[in-house]
Amino acid sequence: MRIATDIGGTFTDIVYIDGEGAIHVNKSHTTPPNFEQGVMDVIAKCNIDPAAVKDLTHGTTVVINALTERKGAKTGLITTRGFRDILEIGRGNRPDLFNFNFKKPEPFVPRYLRLEVSERMDYLGNEHEPLNEDDVRACLETFRKEGVEAIAVVYLHAYVNPAHEIRTKELIHQLWPEVMVTASHEVSKEWREYERESTAVLNSYVMPTAKAYVDRLYQELEKTGIICPKYIMQSNGGTTTFEKAKETPINMVESGPVAGIYGAAMLGKMLGEDKVIAFDIGGTTAKCSLVDGGEVKTTTEYKIEKTDRWPGYPIKVPVVDIVEIGNGGGSIAWVDSTHSLRVGPQSAGALPGPVAYGKGGTQPTTTDANLVIGRLSPKNFDMDVDMDKVRSAIQEQIGNPFGLNAEDAALGIIRVANSNMLNALKLVSVRKGYDPRDFALVAFGGGGPMHAAALAKELNIRKVIVPNAASVFSAWGMLMTDLRSDDIQTFFAPLSHPDYGAINAQWRKLEAKALEDNAAKGVKASDVYFAHYLDMRYQGQDHTVKVRVPNDDLSPENLGQFIEAFHKEHFQNYSFRLDDSPVEIVNMHLASFGRIAKTPIKEIPAQPYSLEECIKEVRPVIFEGTGKADTKIYDREKLSPGMTMEGPVIIEEVSASTVVYPGMRASIDAYGDIIIETEV
Amino acid sequence: MAEKQVDVITLDIIKDSLLAAGEEIFTAIARTSKSPIIYECLDFASGLTDDKGNLITQGNGCAGFLGMLSSMVKEVIRKWADTGRLKEGDIIIINDPYGGGGSHIQDVGVVMPIFVEGEIFCYVADKCHWSEMGGKDPGYSLNATEIYQEGLQMPCVKLFNEGVLNEDIADIIRANVRYPDLSIGDMWAGVSGLRTGEKRILELCAKYGKDTVRSAINRLLQSSAEYSRKQVEKIPDGVYRAEDVMDKDVHGNGPFHVQVAVTVKGDRMTVDFTGTDKQTAGPINLALAGLHSAIRSVFLACTDPEQNVNDGVFEPLEIIAEEGSLFNAIRPAPVSCYYESMQVALDLVWQAMAPVVKKGQLTAGHFLTVGAYTMNGIHAVTGQPFVNCGPTLGGWGAGCDRDGDSCQFCTGDGETFNIPVEILESKFGIKITEYALHTDNTGAGEFRGGYGLILGHEALNDDMDFGGAYGRHERPAWGFAGGHPGSTNGFDFIRLDGTYDGPYGSGNRIPMKKGDIVRMVTGTGGGYGNPLARDPARVAMDVKNEYITLEDAREIYGVEVDPATFAVVGATQARKDFQAAQA
Repeated sequence: MRIATDIGGTFTDIVYIDGEGAIHVNKSHTTPPNFEQGVMDVIAKCNIDPAAVKDLTHGTTVVINALTERKGAKTGLITTRGFRDILEIGRGNRPDLFNFNFKKPEPFVPRYLRLEVSERMDYLGNEHEPLNEDDVRACLETFRKEGVEAIAVVYLHAYVNPAHEIRTKELIHQLWPEVMVTASHEVSKEWREYERESTAVLNSYVMPTAKAYVDRLYQELEKTGIICPKYIMQSNGGTTTFEKAKETPINMVESGPVAGIYGAAMLGKMLGEDKVIAFDIGGTTAKCSLVDGGEVKTTTEYKIEKTDRWPGYPIKVPVVDIVEIGNGGGSIAWVDSTHSLRVGPQSAGALPGPVAYGKGGTQPTTTDANLVIGRLSPKNFDMDVDMDKVRSAIQEQIGNPFGLNAEDAALGIIRVANSNMLNALKLVSVRKGYDPRDFALVAFGGGGPMHAAALAKELNIRKVIVPNAASVFSAWGMLMTDLRSDDIQTFFAPLSHPDYGAINAQWRKLEAKALEDNAAKGVKASDVYFAHYLDMRYQGQDHTVKVRVPNDDLSPENLGQFIEAFHKEHFQNYSFRLDDSPVEIVNMHLASFGRIAKTPIKEIPAQPYSLEECIKEVRPVIFEGTGKADTKIYDREKLSPGMTMEGPVIIEEVSASTVVYPGMRASIDAYGDIIIETEV
Repeated sequence: MAEKQVDVITLDIIKDSLLAAGEEIFTAIARTSKSPIIYECLDFASGLTDDKGNLITQGNGCAGFLGMLSSMVKEVIRKWADTGRLKEGDIIIINDPYGGGGSHIQDVGVVMPIFVEGEIFCYVADKCHWSEMGGKDPGYSLNATEIYQEGLQMPCVKLFNEGVLNEDIADIIRANVRYPDLSIGDMWAGVSGLRTGEKRILELCAKYGKDTVRSAINRLLQSSAEYSRKQVEKIPDGVYRAEDVMDKDVHGNGPFHVQVAVTVKGDRMTVDFTGTDKQTAGPINLALAGLHSAIRSVFLACTDPEQNVNDGVFEPLEIIAEEGSLFNAIRPAPVSCYYESMQVALDLVWQAMAPVVKKGQLTAGHFLTVGAYTMNGIHAVTGQPFVNCGPTLGGWGAGCDRDGDSCQFCTGDGETFNIPVEILESKFGIKITEYALHTDNTGAGEFRGGYGLILGHEALNDDMDFGGAYGRHERPAWGFAGGHPGSTNGFDFIRLDGTYDGPYGSGNRIPMKKGDIVRMVTGTGGGYGNPLARDPARVAMDVKNEYITLEDAREIYGVEVDPATFAVVGATQARKDFQAAQA
């Protein structure tokens, strides 16, 4: 048996696959601040034989919570003399252009804990000034006095020569073995000191919290007799061991959400679709990501708390490239100052939640609108829904200002919400040069299945896949993952006259390190596999494009192939190519994977019901364009593989509803997934 | 079902798509550019206008470009469209400051008409700061006396004819600039933005029909104008004045008297600069379109900075400046440092309106200058020539409930990024000696001004020179409600033998030798309120953080701080007297 658990804002999910390949799911309440309790609760609910568990994978929000709630450790920074203010200066940008009362992000380390030491490397990695170890000792004195719990060490050009950072860390370990330390080159080996420093500082900031959590969870699991290998989901779409996770917890910042994206890629592979757009709607946000060739894309441009009007804080570790917008089931509908209807980004969250929850919410949300137009059923909520209250909230707050009745107002809310989500889906597809018609849409999360068909139609996507276990799909995705680590090294190399030896030697170095790391995680060399990426650009450009290149050594014979791969990727992203312009490598990126044995997923058995017997009810539902239609509502639990339904229909399960529009057709595949043919 | 009302929602959905298209054009340019000033500093703007040149949406990197897209498009309409000579696929290039440009020659605009069903439906335009546009100095000249010295002028001419590049224009550019590859690369970045915009508009028209899209555009402009008028109405009626003195220009002319009268009456605002000094022979003159841009951004700051940016918003705003004055200069006045007067004009309105608008909306004065610098040289390792130019960070003013931000770019910039030390050193072969807050004891107040920057560059060979144009070199940022003024901006040299040389406010191509250090040193923003009212705990924390000294705490803030524990241990007589007077 293999287990995956995922902590969300409201629920902690579990998905496990038994020895025969059957998938089981369950949910339990999330239990802040002792999140491990929720994990243990949900495992207990399943009556699992602990001895039968072969491995366990876990997704957690502990890191992102510590960051956004500012509940991390008191952190000190040691940096190159002359540069302690870099963290406070940031990049000087002000996205809120016309606000002359703008407030820039406050640094996570105040100035009195940002200390300088004498040392200096130049940009080639030559030592200009040796490390003054007495300076380091003096820093530690101050930090002890101030009660610092974690330290970040960030020196200029450490991405090319980390010798001084390494020595500083050694010294700290000698002099103060208990304190946690991050050296910047351990979390990022790319140039741009502010971004690398921010990453190192945030890693240290969350280290004590993450370590305590991982240790507690480990002990609880061991106590229950779950002694198997344990993995944690990282933002790069792969897992790592509990031990490694404690060293670079910042890699867990998007632990949960990326697992769903990865799961969509793997489900696509299972179903023979290697081009999919993953689409996840939760309570407060919608997330999407494009998967081409079965592979999730990662980026190191990630920032926390960034908005259109605020710069946020950069975290320069690989994160699956996700576009996230403030549009979920709980997003609030409102009329703006220019009398336009808007939905989100404010969300009613889990508390007070939509009006329908009856927990004090008064502002209408997307969920409330879906109730009014009949796409959601009050009977499918685990609380009593006061439909009069829901309807009147929409009537008063949206209908009246526009002179619409409640139903038209509700439909308006859905249309605006869909328009927002459509823009997000376009950001990952058409705007990156992909034609959505070539892709299948994999929709999951509580709200994905409800909105997917309408959006697919707008994008001319022919096929929508609503996976079995759609509402716990992130956990499902974790069952499909391998161990992954990424090593990105700024390695500047013009390709007009490449030094083949140096480039290939660098790959060998990265690979040797990866094999060593995997061995430390208990992965046999034969289970390790690599993917090579190069961050490349035209000479004179700054921004790079990440290009998947062959794992082969670079040689005069295949150089053209590498360069062509870049031209193609550049054209894909920016709609032009400069064939005459010299091309440069900026970063070498090795992704290394440690294969984890998977249990093949079994086809689901036929259920003892005819299609007719699967119908829960027939109710009127409003659809854009075609208006109100009597719609058959099916019970997903009762449907058998091979069954097909003509839209309009709605397929309900415990925490999700799949909407199939008039003119579309839905069928159940062998694994219990709903496949919608949109007939566009 | 109320058919007409549901249409309103459709129109809103189209509006969102238009705004999204604006953002997309912007991103396309940023990601395709080859010049650091575009991709790191985002020194460009892009957007869509309707068929009359009214701005529909703008993607901004810089606040300073607000309004300059419409003026370019209007020039294109006047010269080409109205004479029936604008064809599908044409692209017009324009950088003439006096003919629609508004800023300086280095800001090169491109404009493309978008044809739907055979007629011009709207325009897409962008304007980017090119690294090199020729002229007497690399980067750009800081001491020209006529516009002819400042670079190649492109007076609203066709760069593309019906989709085909006019190679002659490209050749003229190549022949007149120092780094043709860079400049032509910038040109392609601008063009890629236009193509993106065209694609999106055509898609929208295909999906909804062009009449519906046009209705959405009209609704956007109208509802924005309506909202904007309501915001102006909230400001009390009256005539609000400010005057100031602007620094001497690089040739020593000046200083210059500048003044404004802002009249708010009902839902209209008139901003009148009559009485401001005449234009000068130094390159700090501002063309009218540039003035409009400056005043539009401070108009947003005074009303609601989160409004969608389009020409509807500016309908209540009228701007007056005498022809031939600093703020409405005429040919052939040089304009390369136009942004300094632009900032001064904006700051005048800010000074006039800060006490009038909603409390907290406007802070004390900020360091004001763009702080443009140009460094030319030969890379000490690779031997390649380089030009490094860009803006400088500085201190912002304090507000009624907050300290000022430290080290931000001036208001005329925006989504502008500084260049990292690691990039400066590898790209230009120089050594950065420090990148630090310029903490001084100015800008004191109940809330204190944010700090400026000290950024030192050491030349690693004898081939480098430096030029800079730093406004507010003679007069610091203003304090507000009893807050102290900040400090001044400039640059200085620490020569290899230790000689100090400076500070300077402006200078062009000043030679440097190996081991010489040039430091940009910018000012603290103005403070807000009396320093004696500052929370003692904050004062103590400022001492602990080495923002101020123990003496500053005592002398300026009246707080005694323990030098070892940084605890507040007492108040001076001055503070006690102040508190007694308040009670």
